[in-house]
Amino acid sequence: MKDKRILVKGVEAIAFGALEGGCNCYFGYPITPQNEIPELMSVELPKRGGVFLQAESETSAINMVLGASAVGARVMTSSSSPGISLMSEGFSYLIALELPCVIVNVMRGGPGLGGIEASQGDYFQAVKAPGHGDGKFLVFAPYSCDEAYELTAKAFELADKYRNPVMILSDAILGQMKEPLTLKPLKIKRIKKDDWILNGAKDRPARVIKSLFLDSAELAERNRKLKKKYQMMEKEIRYEKIFEGNEDIIVVSFGSMARLCKEAVLNLREKGYPVGFFRPITLYPFPRFTLFKLAEASQRKKRFMVFELNCGQMVEDVASSICGRGDTYSVFYPPSILPFPEDIEKEIKKCLKYSNSPKV
Amino acid sequence: MRPEWAKFKPVNIKELPKEDWIAPGHRGCQGCGTVLPIKLALKVLGPNTIAVSSTGCMEIITSPFPFTSWRIPWIHVAFENAATVASGIEAALKALKRKGKISKKENINVVVFAGDGATYDIGLQFLSGALERGHRLIYFCLDNEAYMNTGVQRSGGTPIFAHTTTSPAGKVIHGKVGWKKNLDGIVIAHSIPYFATANPIFFADFMNKVKKASLVDGPSFFHVYSTCPTGWGAKSEDTVKLCKLATETRIFPLFEVIDGRYYILNRKIDKPKPVEEYLKIQRRFRHLKPEEIELFQNRINEEYERIVKLCEVFAPPKGE
Repeated sequence: MKDKRILVKGVEAIAFGALEGGCNCYFGYPITPQNEIPELMSVELPKRGGVFLQAESETSAINMVLGASAVGARVMTSSSSPGISLMSEGFSYLIALELPCVIVNVMRGGPGLGGIEASQGDYFQAVKAPGHGDGKFLVFAPYSCDEAYELTAKAFELADKYRNPVMILSDAILGQMKEPLTLKPLKIKRIKKDDWILNGAKDRPARVIKSLFLDSAELAERNRKLKKKYQMMEKEIRYEKIFEGNEDIIVVSFGSMARLCKEAVLNLREKGYPVGFFRPITLYPFPRFTLFKLAEASQRKKRFMVFELNCGQMVEDVASSICGRGDTYSVFYPPSILPFPEDIEKEIKKCLKYSNSPKV
Repeated sequence: MRPEWAKFKPVNIKELPKEDWIAPGHRGCQGCGTVLPIKLALKVLGPNTIAVSSTGCMEIITSPFPFTSWRIPWIHVAFENAATVASGIEAALKALKRKGKISKKENINVVVFAGDGATYDIGLQFLSGALERGHRLIYFCLDNEAYMNTGVQRSGGTPIFAHTTTSPAGKVIHGKVGWKKNLDGIVIAHSIPYFATANPIFFADFMNKVKKASLVDGPSFFHVYSTCPTGWGAKSEDTVKLCKLATETRIFPLFEVIDGRYYILNRKIDKPKPVEEYLKIQRRFRHLKPEEIELFQNRINEEYERIVKLCEVFAPPKGE
């Protein structure tokens, strides 16, 4: 049978991905620009025997997620930047309690209520510290409808595998633009949770899910265990690169910005400019080692241009990854002012001009 | 009843100022029934008023950068915390007056304009705190019965069977499951000095209530009926008709509660119109079956009779 191809918005692709990934519970709260996810879920989930519930606030939505996850459901929520901030207490507890779930952040401009234009301003929040304490999420940043569909479905499996929340970091452009999506069946593994979920305690000792450890040795042990888990997650690192080894400039970007950059880079390469492209798909764990290898690939010192829709966040991760083996440049666009690919080409050419490399 | 009302005189419509403290040219939809109460309330309260808006239609349509429709000081923070921000403002004003930074005679009204989502759902905890602490503020809940600003999602204030994008009406589930939350009861239970329901179409009644609230030393709460042609699937020219029908069908009875104890019915509806008349001009109710309309009607009758009874039993003492 041929795969079904439909025209959908990015957020709908995420919702279809969740259904493919076996999501059976959705809890959410309205916020622009992700309202199509709860809308679609409110229609689709009851048909499949799942549960759709609209909470009375983001705080309660994330705690419903926590509850559903504790009894073993495949559960998700979605929100946008201000709502994600309100959920962050829940995030910390989800990480501490090692409860799997999928969280979608369709980023919009900030700080504060900001606007509803696209932004990548929540990079640090998603990657460095989703909540208080030492916790981390596994963070995926799709850049097309097809990728959003696949990654969201895969996110459910990985959340269960690592018993950790997985975040899909999208933004208003990716979320609201329409694009064809191929609804292909994916192989998403079901992972048994019988050994840890809360259910009846008949004929066996009762289980406890908690995050309070007043004994310091016990708490330290707990954090070490979590850290080990984050290191294991490095197996899931994904990225895309256009690189042959002798490029002078490597453009690094993720999400919607990567789409613009990729076009600019391909145009320049066609004209013979020595420009490469690197797009991390997992933002945490960050593909550090791969970037380091790119920097080391040839004797010539490389320039890493990091394009972002914020005031320069991922550039710090790129700089620390390449350990001084190249130069890092931050080209940033604050939320709501989007460049054209030609603008990006201009920026890259400007950077090339001051380079020592022979001009083409 | 309240000592503050000893010299209370009803609002004289002829003497009202010509100025509007909320400017025309905002981005409200055609036939928006939610701006109207703000306009009327501010006419009574005047320019010496600080308004706090929670996130919602009224915040979005009045403040697209770089424009503003507010001719009075206005602050907007997040979705849930309008009542708390207003509490902070009121407490600080008190302190500034005590220290002589602001003249003690200066009467600055602190008002909150919040939607039903911000009041029924996400802001309930914050509202409850503000009411319990007894700040001198006037809280207007502009109830248009769903999250209209984000594209019509259900809220705690959505009536039963209403179709919204997150309570879609299908073959099995007919719109929203469960009755509208009894917010009035929750607020009255805080025993605040003044509670009133208001329908902007009965403007004299509404403005008098606002005047009473502005005199009270403590929190006042208004549950304001607000139509939304866009979200309800009604014709924009039907706003006035809907407002009238809401009260005439007993769906939205007008009453006041003083100190959480004394109930006053403002408008007795002896010959109510059938709720069907109200329901049939809104597309959000078009899937309703006759038995569901009957269920709706019975519930409305019960609710109305309950309030009438309360007004009889807990009438304010005579001679005051």
